[in-house]
Amino acid sequence: MKPIPRRKFLQDTAMAGGALFLLPNLEAGRMLTAEPTGNYFLREFGIDETLCQKLLAKALSKGGDFADLYFEFNVSNYLGLEDGKVNQSYGDIGLGVGIRTVKGDQIGYGFTQELTEASMMSAATTASTLCNMSATPTAGTFNRLKTGNYYPVAADFDGIPAKAKLPIVQSINEKCFAASKELVKVSAGFSNSVKRVMIVTSDGVIAEDIIPSGFVYASVVAERNGRREQSFWNLGGRRDFSYYTDALLNQVATKAVNNALTLFDAIQPPAGEMPVVLGPGVTGILLHEAIGHGMEADFNRKKISTYSTMLGKKVAEPFVTIIDDGTNMNLAGSINVDDEGVPGKKTTLVENGILTSYIHDKISARHYGIEPTGNGRRQDFQNYPMPRMRNTYMLGGTSDPEDVIKAAGNGIYVEDVSNGQVKIGEGDFAFYVSQGRLIENGKLTKPIKDVNIMGNGPRMLTNITMIAKDLGMYYGGAGQCGKNGQGVPVSFGLPTCLVKSLTVGGTQQKGGQS
Amino acid sequence: MSLHKDQQQEFQELAAWVIDQTAKAGAKDCRVNISKRRFVEINYRDRKPEVIKEATTQGLYLEVFVDKRFAGRSTPDFRKSTLSTFIPDLIDNARIMEEDPFRTLPDPKYYAGRTTADLDLFDYKKDLLTPEERHEMAKTVENSCLNRGGSKVISVEAGEYDDTYEEYVRSSNGFIGSNRTTEFWIGASMTAQDEGDRKPAGYHWVGCRYRNDLPSFQDVGAQAAIRTLDLMGGKKIQTETLPVIIENRGVMRLFRGLLGAMSAGNIQQKRSFLADKKGQQVGSKLLSVQDDPYLVRALGSKYYDGDGFPAKKRDLLKEGVLNEFLVDWYYGRKLDWEPNSGSISNLIIPPGTRSLETIIKDLGRCMLITDFIGGNSNSTTGDFSVGIIGKLFDKGEFVQNVAEMNMADNHLKFWNKLIEAANDPWIYSQARFPSLVFDGVVVAGI
Repeated sequence: MKPIPRRKFLQDTAMAGGALFLLPNLEAGRMLTAEPTGNYFLREFGIDETLCQKLLAKALSKGGDFADLYFEFNVSNYLGLEDGKVNQSYGDIGLGVGIRTVKGDQIGYGFTQELTEASMMSAATTASTLCNMSATPTAGTFNRLKTGNYYPVAADFDGIPAKAKLPIVQSINEKCFAASKELVKVSAGFSNSVKRVMIVTSDGVIAEDIIPSGFVYASVVAERNGRREQSFWNLGGRRDFSYYTDALLNQVATKAVNNALTLFDAIQPPAGEMPVVLGPGVTGILLHEAIGHGMEADFNRKKISTYSTMLGKKVAEPFVTIIDDGTNMNLAGSINVDDEGVPGKKTTLVENGILTSYIHDKISARHYGIEPTGNGRRQDFQNYPMPRMRNTYMLGGTSDPEDVIKAAGNGIYVEDVSNGQVKIGEGDFAFYVSQGRLIENGKLTKPIKDVNIMGNGPRMLTNITMIAKDLGMYYGGAGQCGKNGQGVPVSFGLPTCLVKSLTVGGTQQKGGQS
Repeated sequence: MSLHKDQQQEFQELAAWVIDQTAKAGAKDCRVNISKRRFVEINYRDRKPEVIKEATTQGLYLEVFVDKRFAGRSTPDFRKSTLSTFIPDLIDNARIMEEDPFRTLPDPKYYAGRTTADLDLFDYKKDLLTPEERHEMAKTVENSCLNRGGSKVISVEAGEYDDTYEEYVRSSNGFIGSNRTTEFWIGASMTAQDEGDRKPAGYHWVGCRYRNDLPSFQDVGAQAAIRTLDLMGGKKIQTETLPVIIENRGVMRLFRGLLGAMSAGNIQQKRSFLADKKGQQVGSKLLSVQDDPYLVRALGSKYYDGDGFPAKKRDLLKEGVLNEFLVDWYYGRKLDWEPNSGSISNLIIPPGTRSLETIIKDLGRCMLITDFIGGNSNSTTGDFSVGIIGKLFDKGEFVQNVAEMNMADNHLKFWNKLIEAANDPWIYSQARFPSLVFDGVVVAGI
């Protein structure tokens, strides 16, 4: 094994970062693929095709349908500001390979952080213990997978030194305090990572990718008449440094501050069932949690999702179309290739109200006898892949947003939600409304706070009675979707839409009793 | 508890070398944590292994303090050839941070006073556990769950997980700590066929330091089935105010709302609704919470914390009065408060004398909350809102299962509504809480 050239890596990045910092508004036309993606693991760690053949042969030495190798080298960094100073610098290096043997829907999995032949062979042996048959042959040769590039970034994009990021974080702090005299605390940060992966499959595919991730955030506390309120906002995705312009930092600071100040005037709405209008953009997390998870094919092949008998059937009104898409430019859930070596794709889950596809990894695709949809994703080499969403959104309709709000009559308007959770089998979900407003007589009135909205995902989908034409996407980078202990970055989107009834939770019973 | 002899020597030598190299590279103050974990995970579904996973992970986390500046970074690569570039890189990174006079290693006087007791956190028989025995454990749990679930079962996933964790921590100013622990977990999750398309899923998992402390595998599987069947027919009810009981294993979910506001970090950052409440009544007289790191074989037991402070027993809340904040070295210095450890160990609320069943009989109309879904707790205001799942009773008689409902309140009001603790502390967690009864809580539904 060759030593990891980290010193060189960091020096190179420092130089390039300086150059980039002088050109913060790098135009899209100048963006290039970071570098030829081929042979990184051969170059840096001596992983060649002969060794890969050997590892795959070991993983299938006792049989199995297929095996794959997932090599990963990930460098992540975080800079944090508190009390006016950028005083926290944390970093992490992840390196290793995960080796999987699959037989039907069974998985044998081993991984190692040491890219030595002995250690990797040991991990392959662990994976092979799943089976007890004669060996399965592997493909004799490998073909390099050609993919799209959904996160083009400037050459040497990963070369941003901490020194260049400091002014960004300081600037967020200054912009927040400039936005309001009522702020008492601001924390801000810049988090980014660069992950290099190589997937090698027993059916003869080699795929490599360089995956950027990052975001900036502001977290503020405001005080008014002895009361305090807090808020958080972030923007990011699969971007290079040029994304973090002064204008963008202004957006982050302004949104965080305004959201906190709004809460001083917020009330708790009455608890109980009522019409709920979901605003555009970040509320798409409801679509992701309450509906998207139920369409993940592992839950359906095990028959534990409410959607397991609904393929080809009506699940929503005809004006509802839902997409899960790995091909959106620069969004957090975009993927050039999934973690099983399948190219990033766009998948229509619900078309004109009919459930047309689940979200598949290779195991579920084989189970259903179809092509994988490119949704086999994993947190890192220590985990095996499973069906995961990418960027999930509902297409816009024809109405104006104002008309959707008017149609609600009396209810609540949800602008921002967090802390969502769904129970797959029941379809029940709960979300915390961090920003929203009352709807009274078809008009937005007082801001609301500290309430949950609860409901049943499939029922909510059928209860969407009106959709506006203003599809908005979530452009944050801090969000992670969690499933079986694994987090992966995702995005989502929604146009303004009316759900005719959801439960709103609070302490105010209808009629004013508290 | 010291490390395995060979491992201990390897970690000791590496830590000493890292500290020496860090000093030579220009940072005389540093702390290094070296750890290794070996784990096995086996899951069964449809009476066959679904996942077999086994690996060893290792990590070296180095923190450097240079001219009142700080940086920390972790790596899985222990080779000196790569660490010799990792260390100066990290120091370079620290040097470009802004000065923070509070970011230092702790005063070594705070390292003194660690317990010499053996907390018995390592099961020496773990290495005798064979792959066949692990499979048998998972199979037994699965069988029992399938049998108890009967015709209602759609799917059962059962599993066994065990690990060995070893760490060695050393700072340049005199702290040395080492620890070696084992954990064993077994459990199952079941999905059942309910009315229409509803497929409720329940689970039951338990964990212990010693394999022999695990309950009967059959009981674990049966409990997973019982808890799932208890979700059948769950529906929301009219919004109303009534007594609620939070089941023992769920209490920590709500208590975290208090705990977060007790941290010095949140207090210093003005994100705590408890900042001015020390010494004041914040809950009913029944609310006493002890932090006890010395419980033998317990999941939260420990010898020292992340700053190197010796773990100590303390009363966080006593008869409803907020007794202690959680003050780590850094935020303690910022607040000019005496540090007392910013992290918890085992949390204990004294159990009551009556069983859950007896209490439910006496409560009239009440709701037993067995699980939560989603929600939020605001550490700045104390307001919380959380989705609830449970069972409705009237004078001890079961009325219906409940789902899709919500409970919201403010912590300063809610914990004052505590009227009784049951006699059922949940021991398979670092939060050894009994079920708690709260009066006059609004649950929102229809």
